Amino acid sequence: MKVKRKHLELAAFIAVYMFALYLWTLPFQHNEMPYGEFDAISHWGLADFISQTDRTFVYLPKFIDERYGGDNSFKPHTLWYPPPFHTDFAIISSFAQGRFVPVYLTNAVFATAILISVFFVIRSLFGFLPAILSSFLLTFSMRDIMPYLWGQWPERFGYAFVPLTLYCFYRYYTTYSKESSKPIYLYLTSLLLGINLFIHPLTFFHSILGLFILFVFLWLKERKFPLDLKSILISIALFALLMSIFPYQSGNVIASFTQDSSSQDKVHSAFSRLAQWAPNAEDFIGSVPASYFSFREMNGLWTLPFLLFGILFLAIRRENRDIFLLAWLFSLYLILHRDLIGKISFLHRSLSATAHIFVPITVIGALSIPKLIPVNKDIKKYLIYAFSILIVVLAFMYSFPAANSTLKAAYEHPFVRVNQDEIEATAWIESNIPEDGVISLIGPPDEKKFRWLAFLSHRPFSNIVEYLTLEQYSENAQELFSKELHENYVMLDYTDIGRLQDRSHAERWLQFERIELADFTLLYDKNNIRIYKYETPN
Amino acid sequence: MKLQIDRENIENIQVGSLLIIAVIVFFYFILGLQGALSALGIMVFFVLPFYFLLGKFNLREDEKLAFSFFIGAGIFPAIAYWLGIFISFRLSIFITFIILIAAAYFLNRIKKKIS
Repeated sequence: MKVKRKHLELAAFIAVYMFALYLWTLPFQHNEMPYGEFDAISHWGLADFISQTDRTFVYLPKFIDERYGGDNSFKPHTLWYPPPFHTDFAIISSFAQGRFVPVYLTNAVFATAILISVFFVIRSLFGFLPAILSSFLLTFSMRDIMPYLWGQWPERFGYAFVPLTLYCFYRYYTTYSKESSKPIYLYLTSLLLGINLFIHPLTFFHSILGLFILFVFLWLKERKFPLDLKSILISIALFALLMSIFPYQSGNVIASFTQDSSSQDKVHSAFSRLAQWAPNAEDFIGSVPASYFSFREMNGLWTLPFLLFGILFLAIRRENRDIFLLAWLFSLYLILHRDLIGKISFLHRSLSATAHIFVPITVIGALSIPKLIPVNKDIKKYLIYAFSILIVVLAFMYSFPAANSTLKAAYEHPFVRVNQDEIEATAWIESNIPEDGVISLIGPPDEKKFRWLAFLSHRPFSNIVEYLTLEQYSENAQELFSKELHENYVMLDYTDIGRLQDRSHAERWLQFERIELADFTLLYDKNNIRIYKYETPN
Repeated sequence: MKLQIDRENIENIQVGSLLIIAVIVFFYFILGLQGALSALGIMVFFVLPFYFLLGKFNLREDEKLAFSFFIGAGIFPAIAYWLGIFISFRLSIFITFIILIAAAYFLNRIKKKIS
């Protein structure tokens, strides 16, 4: 067997990608219990329901519908996302026979798919070295890692489509002439755009704007208009076909896009932001940490000189491939300033796509420096290798530690993940409580537990204690509390609070159980979890 | 010329197989059998059918590999989801796989006939 250069390059990329996946799977390598914020629960739960029940659905099951029933503005009570993303998880979950690791691993592969698409695109346009270094640096992108851990999963995968879609169009445009053209690239553009919409609408709009800017930039340089009517019509038909596969979800994209005018009041202050890349951190207090908006903390200040030099280098050289990157960069700039026209929703999420374009430009900037040094060709080659090593060393010194510690320590507190005892209880609930039976949960200190237990048991849960603390219920809280207890199943879960040093929390609920649930029927009693039901006396 | 293409294909298959085995072993070591099966599933369901389908078009090897993963992750589940409304989801995964492999096979035959 003869090993060729292309094989070695592929092996090198796979080594980098496996290293990235090793890092990104740290949160579940030693603890396979699921984790994440509310978004993560919904993404995991949709997949789990399909694989566990061995069926898909048009209308949401009750336990999902009670929270997400209104999220599809076009057709309420149906999926608010197109199904492919979650079905991918369900396919792998069914095949690998696991509820957690297969879903979380597939998600890690999807979330790091940007390494694949950037490697592929940059290698095609700029060669192997910039491509492998870009993929390597993206491994430590904190603006990708943080949403990945929190649960904005489809977006992470969706962004990987942006460079690919732009690449296909670029190939179509640059190879087009009156005598010959490669319409396959236009069809692929259309196909990838349609799938991009399946994965996440926000990233689809990034791709659309990117395509428009790329076309304008290329047209300004080449003055070429690739008007191949047949290919264009086939591409439109292909996209329309994809849109029609999930009409309710495609309708929701249109409905949500046209309804989104929630923040007209922000328009006035937005103009001052034109000179800034990121939105103001103060506008997102409570939802995203301030560090998320910091270039220093997310990208590393050491990348800035290379990035600026890279932009300058591309802008001066302006070959078609340079224009490709500049168009991608400019389109993201426009996306990040869409609040100027009142489109503010998910603005901070668009920021998470920054590294995808900053990193390749940073690498190209660094590797371009030797080209400007007046030495002979051989020395230039060695200087390029030296700069490559410098990038790797700097990345390990300044970018790796934050990424590694964040991923290693993610959701390691035992209270923020469901435990084996709770999973056992949810299996009992699924087998013994009817589909419309609501379970009122008391005990776990983490507010997300009730949603995890709902999605694990495929039954609706009520976070009774949480909502009774809301001001609007304060007047008749006791009455509501008692009513809910008598109507629902009541689950007392001491698995977390039982382990607290301070026993007062557990004692409070034990006393409550003894007094308030004295005449309830005990249905389940195992591992510090008890489930009761009030039975109406005959 | 044809012999050279065949030899190159064989080399690609050999190197590709080695890399796939390495990836599966890697996931087995970090995530156990479920990790290894998941990696295998991703390659079999999302990459393989569309790699064969795209093989019939005039694309470079790296383009076929990259596009097949991204297209496969969108189209394979779309078909499986629709079938899963009417039949068992596991069965729908299997049928989707057969449909796509058959489509690649027939596309190949049609292309051969045309050329």
